[in-house]
Amino acid sequence: MAGKISNTPATYTPSPTSQDKKRPSIFTGSDWVRPDGRGLHQCRPAFLRTSAVNSASGSAYAEFGNAKVIVSVFGPRESKKAMMYSDIGRLNCNVSYTSFATPIRGQASDSKDLSSMLHKALEGAIILESFPKTTVDVFALVLESGGSDLPVVISCASLALADAGIMLYDMVASVSMSCLGKNLVIDPVSEEESYQDGGLMITCMPSRNEVTQMTVTGEWSTPKIHEAMQLCLDACSKLGKIMRSCLKETVSATQE
Amino acid sequence: MVGLSLGEKNFIKGGIAQDIRTDGRKRLTYRPIFVETGVIPQASGSARVKMGATDVIASVKAELGKPNASHPDKGKVSIYVDCSPTAEPTFEGRGGEELSMELSTALQRCLLGGKSGAGAGIDLSSLSIVEGKVCWDIYIDGLVVSSDGNLLDALGAAIKAALSNTAVPKVQVAANASLDEQPEVDVSDEEFQQFDTTGVPVIITLTKVGRHYIVDATAEEESQMSSAVSISVNRQGRICGLTKRGGAGLDPSIILDMISVAKHVSEQLINKLDSEIAAAEACEEE
Repeated sequence: MAGKISNTPATYTPSPTSQDKKRPSIFTGSDWVRPDGRGLHQCRPAFLRTSAVNSASGSAYAEFGNAKVIVSVFGPRESKKAMMYSDIGRLNCNVSYTSFATPIRGQASDSKDLSSMLHKALEGAIILESFPKTTVDVFALVLESGGSDLPVVISCASLALADAGIMLYDMVASVSMSCLGKNLVIDPVSEEESYQDGGLMITCMPSRNEVTQMTVTGEWSTPKIHEAMQLCLDACSKLGKIMRSCLKETVSATQE
Repeated sequence: MVGLSLGEKNFIKGGIAQDIRTDGRKRLTYRPIFVETGVIPQASGSARVKMGATDVIASVKAELGKPNASHPDKGKVSIYVDCSPTAEPTFEGRGGEELSMELSTALQRCLLGGKSGAGAGIDLSSLSIVEGKVCWDIYIDGLVVSSDGNLLDALGAAIKAALSNTAVPKVQVAANASLDEQPEVDVSDEEFQQFDTTGVPVIITLTKVGRHYIVDATAEEESQMSSAVSISVNRQGRICGLTKRGGAGLDPSIILDMISVAKHVSEQLINKLDSEIAAAEACEEE
């Protein structure tokens, strides 16, 4: 990977400019306030940087409110000898939590489950035919859990894949939504997630308008699913734009 | 793995496009469902469901346990699925483990509802015995005996049947227990309680082959799928869970269309299952 930049800050710098996903709330009459004071349909400010890890083929760091995630991509490299011949590439995903990621030490969600969800969300976007007989490893580490961890991991992983120069059909953006009573809240924090009546997560490729992964839990009526899907897809396309501009910034920084 | 020749692949795809599948079914027709209850005497409730060559067993065990500190007034339910290599050689080792985990998470997502317990098939507050001290732990175990596609729907149906077969013993709590001690409980040997299973949803998997989607796909048809969406729907026609399998992306409008198709199919499936479960229960009592 030639495009390694040393002058890009890999640490956090507050960037209020990236907060451009505001939408007016439709529940203005509600006196209920979200823990971080956001509107019901307002996403957390996203901070994204590529090339956070120098030894990786590509990597990205994402910070959505308190949720902090780092993803490294290694490869494509030769598949293990034990694996059978395959004329398309393989994708290997692993998500892990640091032991200090959660308020109670070591009480993180099941990382096996998250890993398989990450795999399913990404496999549809990667052109696996472009690297036969080889494996691409995607390792995600959740530094701090702040709610909606999986969507943050997925979006960050897609950025890292793009940074590594892996051929993609499109960037993958992911947004989740919680149903609390009658209200739909986008991009929930941990506190909201623990009280939610239902949850919905969409992973999509914004410019192709294709959903690569979608999960729903809890009881939903059809109009509510329609509304939630629309809001999530909308937020996904906005997040996709932020991710694109982040990649462009990296490239223009290298050219200078 | 299913090894198919090019001709066979085209035959399956062409049939689905013309609404006649290889076994003569239409796109939205299930295979005949066969339900048997009370197959495992050691369990509190059990059922076996056969759909064509797919054969699964679900067992429910109830044990006394301690409720979680975060939800003191609720019991706990856990679902595990085991894919034994006796069903298929590919289930040996990691292949089976991965599939087991995928099925377990999908079932948990489809049947257990949201974090607050809303939309759950089983009312968790009905499992509480003494708030914060004693509750029922329900362990639901699925076993794949033979696999010919559509495992998730079959397991969902088996769990529904097993839960309606489940009898939980009545519990007497000693009244004089002080606040800090663990209260003494007396589990009755004779009196049992039935679960209310009317709220347990059914799972419908729509498998997309070519431009069309089908229900109850066989293993051969599943090998030709581009993606599959599993939707759980309850009696009221509300969505209780949704998961997607397969790599290919789907247009959001197709997903919404699939949801409405699944709702339509679910009515027939729920009625079919109910009558099969009632018949199986009657058969067992004789």
